[in-house]
Amino acid sequence: MLVDAIRHRLGWWMDNPLLRKELRQRMRSGRTVLALSLYLFIIGAVAFVFMYVNVQGQTLLLQPTRTADLFTFLSYLQLAMISFVTPGIASGVISGERERQTLTVLLTTPLSPASIIFTKFVTSISFLLLLIVMTLPLYSIVFLFGGVVPSQVLAVFGLQIVTLGAIASVSIFWSTWLRRTGWSTVFSYATVGVFFLGLAVAGYLSDNIANHSPDQGVWGMVSGICYSLNPIYMQASLEASLGFASPVFHQSIVSSVFSVVQSHDLSSTESWLSFLYLYMGGSALLLVSCIWRLRPGTFAVLRKRLVRWLLR
Amino acid sequence: MITTENLCKRYGKTDAVRDLNLDVRAGTVFGFVGENGAGKTTTLSILATLMLPTSGRAFVGAAEVTTDPAAVRRMIGYMPDVFGVYDDLSVREYLAFYGTAYGVTAALIEQRTKELLNMVSLEEKADDYVNALSRGMQQRLGLARCLMHDPPVLILDEPASGLDPRSRIEMREIIKGLRQRGKTVLISSHILPELADMCDEIGIIKRGALVACASVEVVTARANGHRQICVEVLEGGLAMADTLARHHFVSDVLTCDETRVDLLFAGTERDQAELILDLTAAGYQLKTFREVGGNLEDLFLHLTSEEQAAEQTASALAGSAAGQMA
Ligand SMILES: Nc1ncnc2c1ncn2[C@@H]1O[C@H](COP(=O)(O)OP(=O)(O)OP(=O)(O)O)[C@@H](O)[C@H]1O
Ligand SMILES: [Mg+2]
Repeated sequence: MLVDAIRHRLGWWMDNPLLRKELRQRMRSGRTVLALSLYLFIIGAVAFVFMYVNVQGQTLLLQPTRTADLFTFLSYLQLAMISFVTPGIASGVISGERERQTLTVLLTTPLSPASIIFTKFVTSISFLLLLIVMTLPLYSIVFLFGGVVPSQVLAVFGLQIVTLGAIASVSIFWSTWLRRTGWSTVFSYATVGVFFLGLAVAGYLSDNIANHSPDQGVWGMVSGICYSLNPIYMQASLEASLGFASPVFHQSIVSSVFSVVQSHDLSSTESWLSFLYLYMGGSALLLVSCIWRLRPGTFAVLRKRLVRWLLR
Repeated sequence: MITTENLCKRYGKTDAVRDLNLDVRAGTVFGFVGENGAGKTTTLSILATLMLPTSGRAFVGAAEVTTDPAAVRRMIGYMPDVFGVYDDLSVREYLAFYGTAYGVTAALIEQRTKELLNMVSLEEKADDYVNALSRGMQQRLGLARCLMHDPPVLILDEPASGLDPRSRIEMREIIKGLRQRGKTVLISSHILPELADMCDEIGIIKRGALVACASVEVVTARANGHRQICVEVLEGGLAMADTLARHHFVSDVLTCDETRVDLLFAGTERDQAELILDLTAAGYQLKTFREVGGNLEDLFLHLTSEEQAAEQTASALAGSAAGQMA
């Protein structure tokens, strides 16, 4: 009985009317199909060129380490795509409804704010999830030539999916709390910029300070924290621990990322777990705040409290 | 069916709604009239659980809007004053979406879609995209959307705003049909005449307070006996106003200055013709003499008994006094 009830509730969440409508709207448009095909084509072309150049046309010469390089390359391409595309999709999900004046009606239906936010989250990540799943067959070429095993690919994909969820949550957060989609988009990209680039710069600076400062330990720790919150470095640390030493990326940005990862000893289960927990916990908190914001009166109550607090 | 008790809503320093006491009986159509900024939308959004009142309570049926919003939502169909539609959805899918959101079964959705599209005359548009419909069609579709879960109560915020005269008439006919189906309807508008022939009761809100409330028979019966007439003269309007005020069929002079007098006239058309002769005979150079319509609210306010207004003020005062004590 209880099990049935739970299954029924769960089933409703995974297949609610809003989710159906959203997916139908999103997946129906020709643009979606075009974008998916284009992406697959580009990734396929990149993979082909990469391998072709490496072996000078002689497939038998392909070495397992080379496929590892290809995998590293493709995984960074994918991470870049996730960080560029997700804010664009997710930063308008609530503010867009507000601007199109469909939110009021939605909020007077029995769909709870929680189910609305959950659905918006699922639909925001659905496009990229689909993309990631679609590229899996391409990665099978990589498996074919050896050098990478499926569990490694899955580990990297898992990290990327958590990152994807976090970016979507941040974008939905701005979309719910700010009135305009324009501002929401700006803030979403800015937040992604802070986590991907800002933290890298901060880590680099802290490293430099650490080299010239008596408090070497403290600054070293700061830079370690900065790097370990950055998906770029965490992905590198995962790939490094899977044994991808990359001669091809010698003296490129990627190789510097790898060397930082090694010098800071980020390739540990603890650092991955803390990254995952922090990102997932942060995402959950942001989404809960959105649910709260959609309830009527919250904003008024907040403002009243703020005014009272300021006047005190 | 819909009741409010000393409902108040304040935005910063402006009181959008002040001590509003409404009582809409089940099965009646209640017209909520007020000029721009009177507080209609604010009141209706509170009833639709979109906004919390600053103080006071509001009920739909037995459910209170702040403590049991879920029950209220199931009982009402709410149509906001402005609303958008989703792109990339057909009319049929649009209605089905809201139907499923209320947990209506697929078979019922199909049946209701047919019925409602027929009611709002959009059958041929069933497979068109909603964003390709005209404003008036979208407005009618919005009304159909409110009815997908067959709610006993409808809250319609200016359903005819932004429509051309013909669409307004269509909309009015549809709402009359709703009364026949036994729905309780709370409908707002800033024009009283528009509501007069479809409502059972009319309430007038001014700067957030309900200033008059009466059954529509009272309104129209009183208003029909009187016509508002505007007389323009070249000069001597004030003196003419004096003469007019003493005239047998003039029940009141509303406004006057040197060139224009507005009055309430209770006589027949023949009496009216005689009045023109009298005025001309008295030497006034009449420029125009015409009936002015449209301002039924003022007329209504003027005509609703003084004691009712006094009662309202008294209860409002008592309410605010009680508020201060608490
Ligand atoms: N979000 C808001 N913030 C501040 N003041 C508001 C807000 N919404 C409404 N008001 C004020 O509350 C008062 C009532 O507004 P409301 O929208 O309820 O009027 P209305 O009767 O619906 O008018 P209209 O006929 O123009 O639709 C107005 O004075 C308005 O300025
Ligand atoms: Mg309004």
